[in-house]
Amino acid sequence: MPVLQEIKVPLLAVNDTTLTVVQLNFPNAQQVEAGDIVLVFETSKTVYEVVAEVSGYIEYFAEVGKDYAVNETVARIVSAVDQINTHPSQPGPTPRPGRNSPLPEIELQGETLFSKAAERLLVSAGLEKSLFRSRDFVSKSDVESLSQPVPVTTLKKAPGIPALSPLVPAEADPEKVSVQKLSASKRKEIEYLGGVQEGGLVSTLHTSFKTSGLQVALNPSLRILKNSMLPLIIYEVSRLLVKYPLLNAYYHDGQVFMYRHVNPGFAIDSGKGLKVLKVQGAAEQSLQETESAIVALSELYLEDKLAVTDISEVTFTITDLTAESVTLFNPLINYRNSAILGISAPDQVLETCMVSLAFDHRVTEGKLVSRFLGELVRRLESYLPGPAYKASKITCSNCLAPLNQEQNSIGFVKCIQPSGAEGYICQRCFNGF
Amino acid sequence: MLTEKTSLSHRHIKDALRIRKVEEKFLELFSQGKLNGTVHTCVGQEFSAIAFAGQLKKQDFIFSNHRCHGHYIAFTGDARGLLAELLGKASGTSGGIGSSQHLCKGNFYSNGIQGGIVPVAAGYALANKLKGNAAIGIVFIGDGTLGEGVLYETMNIISKWEIPLLIVCENNFFAQSTPQDINLAGDITSRAAAFGIKTSKGDTWNPDQLIAGAKEAIDYVRENSRPLFFLVDTYRLNAHSKGDDDRDPAEVKGFRDRDFLEIFQQTTPAYYDLYQDAISQEIDSMVIDILAEEEMEIDQYYSSTTVPADNSWQPVLPVNKRQAELINTFFRTKLQALDNLIFLGEDIHSPYGGAFKVTRDLSALKPKQVFTTPISEAAITGMSNGLALNGYKPFLEIMFGDFMTLAFDQIVNHASKFHHMFNKQVNCPVVIRTPMGARRGYGPTHSQTLDKFLVGIDNVKTVAINTFIDPGLIYESVLAEQHPVIVIENKSDYGKKIFQHQLTNFIAERNGDRYPVVRLRPVNSAPTLTIVAYGGMADIMAGLLNDIFMESDLKPELFIPSLISALPLELIRNAAEASGRLLVAEEGTSFAGLGSEIITAVMESTTCSINAKRIGAYPVPVPSVKSLENIVIPNKERILNEILLKFS
Repeated sequence: MPVLQEIKVPLLAVNDTTLTVVQLNFPNAQQVEAGDIVLVFETSKTVYEVVAEVSGYIEYFAEVGKDYAVNETVARIVSAVDQINTHPSQPGPTPRPGRNSPLPEIELQGETLFSKAAERLLVSAGLEKSLFRSRDFVSKSDVESLSQPVPVTTLKKAPGIPALSPLVPAEADPEKVSVQKLSASKRKEIEYLGGVQEGGLVSTLHTSFKTSGLQVALNPSLRILKNSMLPLIIYEVSRLLVKYPLLNAYYHDGQVFMYRHVNPGFAIDSGKGLKVLKVQGAAEQSLQETESAIVALSELYLEDKLAVTDISEVTFTITDLTAESVTLFNPLINYRNSAILGISAPDQVLETCMVSLAFDHRVTEGKLVSRFLGELVRRLESYLPGPAYKASKITCSNCLAPLNQEQNSIGFVKCIQPSGAEGYICQRCFNGF
Repeated sequence: MLTEKTSLSHRHIKDALRIRKVEEKFLELFSQGKLNGTVHTCVGQEFSAIAFAGQLKKQDFIFSNHRCHGHYIAFTGDARGLLAELLGKASGTSGGIGSSQHLCKGNFYSNGIQGGIVPVAAGYALANKLKGNAAIGIVFIGDGTLGEGVLYETMNIISKWEIPLLIVCENNFFAQSTPQDINLAGDITSRAAAFGIKTSKGDTWNPDQLIAGAKEAIDYVRENSRPLFFLVDTYRLNAHSKGDDDRDPAEVKGFRDRDFLEIFQQTTPAYYDLYQDAISQEIDSMVIDILAEEEMEIDQYYSSTTVPADNSWQPVLPVNKRQAELINTFFRTKLQALDNLIFLGEDIHSPYGGAFKVTRDLSALKPKQVFTTPISEAAITGMSNGLALNGYKPFLEIMFGDFMTLAFDQIVNHASKFHHMFNKQVNCPVVIRTPMGARRGYGPTHSQTLDKFLVGIDNVKTVAINTFIDPGLIYESVLAEQHPVIVIENKSDYGKKIFQHQLTNFIAERNGDRYPVVRLRPVNSAPTLTIVAYGGMADIMAGLLNDIFMESDLKPELFIPSLISALPLELIRNAAEASGRLLVAEEGTSFAGLGSEIITAVMESTTCSINAKRIGAYPVPVPSVKSLENIVIPNKERILNEILLKFS
């Protein structure tokens, strides 16, 4: 487009890095003659008139009363009127929005500002910004006060492979590897969970408890979560934590902080993001109340209706992988926790289940944790169905050998004696010599 | 010669003898340990005082120097006040505060700074000329003062502006202990003549001629309203001060033999003894009385006063006008309304209106009250002091803050001292405005922030305007001040409009102080970082608040004082105690700067642990090249980095 004259904001005085347009002397697209004053600026000391150097058609990009920076184009003179697009979204300088608009005095009219640290934490905690609506500034501690960071449960890695593989080096052969960058949330999670684990003093003890008949014994007490051990584990762990306050605690800056309440959380990840849901006051709840709490929290999770309080101030974490085909794993301790309990899938053959307790050695030590685990196992196994018969009192009705001396693992065979009474017969007598 | 001398009125002889006897008494009292400090006598020079000071009218004025006793007695007749002053008594002419060199009574002033009184006297005389009251003034200098540059700056101006000031140069041939031939080049009167100033000569060995010459000179200055330079050859018969006399005794004796009072004593001993006895008796009797008097109590001289803060907060409102324009508007309005308002400065006349256009159109509006001056910062500052002493309200513009150094003597040794050293008899309500600051590439000597030197001057208010308050509001308070004020403007703020900051998450408010403190605080969060910045740096810091938060996770609040020579300590301390962190950002270098002062003052008045930090310019000259200037004068990146390093 043949532009005959481009009118830019001039630098007229050292003070004036912007000038105010105070007058546009023609309607847009009007014909102007050389020598016409087409536009007037106001500076800090005077007004400055812009004179058309050529005849042509004026096209303005400025508005009266607004400020424009030195060198911005505010108008031009073109050779033909049809070159001027009278559409409002004309190319050219756009005045800075709201520059002259009056500012609010008290009410927050702007957007809530999140610090970079707060943003990172929000992402890693999976929290919505809308939680902080009407706040002026949200800092990391603001987010912390409303959220509890999420633990990550990982499968046990093969020895020798670092838990967190570094990103593919730049020189990696793209034909041999494909590179996928970690998501921001994953990177922050790594950074975040480093808090406790990087202390380098995390240890994990494993043990197992018998499960034979456990679920059968437990199910009558459960209303909804039939075949789940989680309510029982939360129920028992909570009572134990009252007795073991160092596992319901966290380490910070040379001090151990022990929570006054036991609020264990259980990890859940059912397509709505990994979260730890808090069972408030679990040590005071009955098994049924604990079950109800788990159900209610899970529903809230699935319906995206969790309140901040549902996921904050978790004092101990339980990761239940009984539904996965996991035989053993080392759970990672959550931020502001001293321990985490991981439950692997029960071994269907051995009818046992592995439980793993990772703990912060700065807070406690293996002896205490092994006592805790031993007590937990005893408590869990106490729900196993008791034996119906006393082996020492059962004898073969034929040879009078006691059942507890039976060499064959099959046991005795129940029978009806010729007298019509119930009796037992050992394998040797049953099979004959 | 003798005939001529005897024709002298005995009144003059008695007056001269009284001066001599008073000074001899001083030396006697000094040797008895009854005088604190020093004393410079004019023994041998008395007739200069009689000739000039003695022939002025009551409405006239005198500015004198360290050797001022004779001038004082000749002009005021107040030997008692002088004696009491040197004896340190409360009834002394300056309450015992000033002693020998710092006297004030009526229209008599003296100060011990060589040359410094000359522009002050010129300003005082200019005030008389503006009032049209036909009063004139004399400023006494010695030949030693001929080495001071400000004398020549002033001679240039009084000649050009036809100011009725009589400069009397008492040439006793010694600058303290140094003979004139070692120090002085050329001719003395030619110096004044070169400025187009009429000159005249006389000596104290022919007092009747001197008195007649002085009368002529005084009449000339009064009738023509022009300056005159009068050279009086004389000789002091005593040491410069007390015992510091290395002059050839034969030379001294030669002059003593020529001394009129000595000759009078020898030729007419009866008269001499009669006068001497009466005068000595009068003096002795006064001294006995004075010695029994009390000295001033410290609480009459100084008591710590703090102006209570008015912390009724009100919103800061935007003004869609540039700062320079608003200052100019205020000046125009006031100049139109007030006849005692005077504007002085280099290049401030129309159409130029000053280097930054702040004084635009003032000279067209009221030409008689606006003076565009030669490039003579020391002289125009001194003249402003003189105008202020004589009933005017001068607003002096120093073109660049860097040039304040040239005006420093007038601020430190004159403006800041007059009120106290003259025992609160006078006020010096001078206003000195100057633009400080960098960010314009003007380089090492046109970009400095010398605020810390200014706030270190006691009894001068230092005010820094900012882009959050209409400068007219602050200048209204400045206008009402009765004592010296320095107003620091900022070059890079001149073109900015008032409170155009987009700070939606902050409440901007100012308190009710005469020099308001602006506070920017988060709308609904408790701040976790308290920042103090003023002047040009306030604008920079305000623009950084959101970034500071985003990067550091700290919620900042910003305090912007406008009176920086007395800080809103309580506000800052309370805020820092609550946030636990205190940052002071300034455009000058940090060492011994405003930040040091603010942090120290907070620390010594708190029992809380506060994490504190100063950010300032690097201690090198401000570079002109933009990339380096941006780093030396802390820019956004450096400020953010330093905050992160310190507080994160």
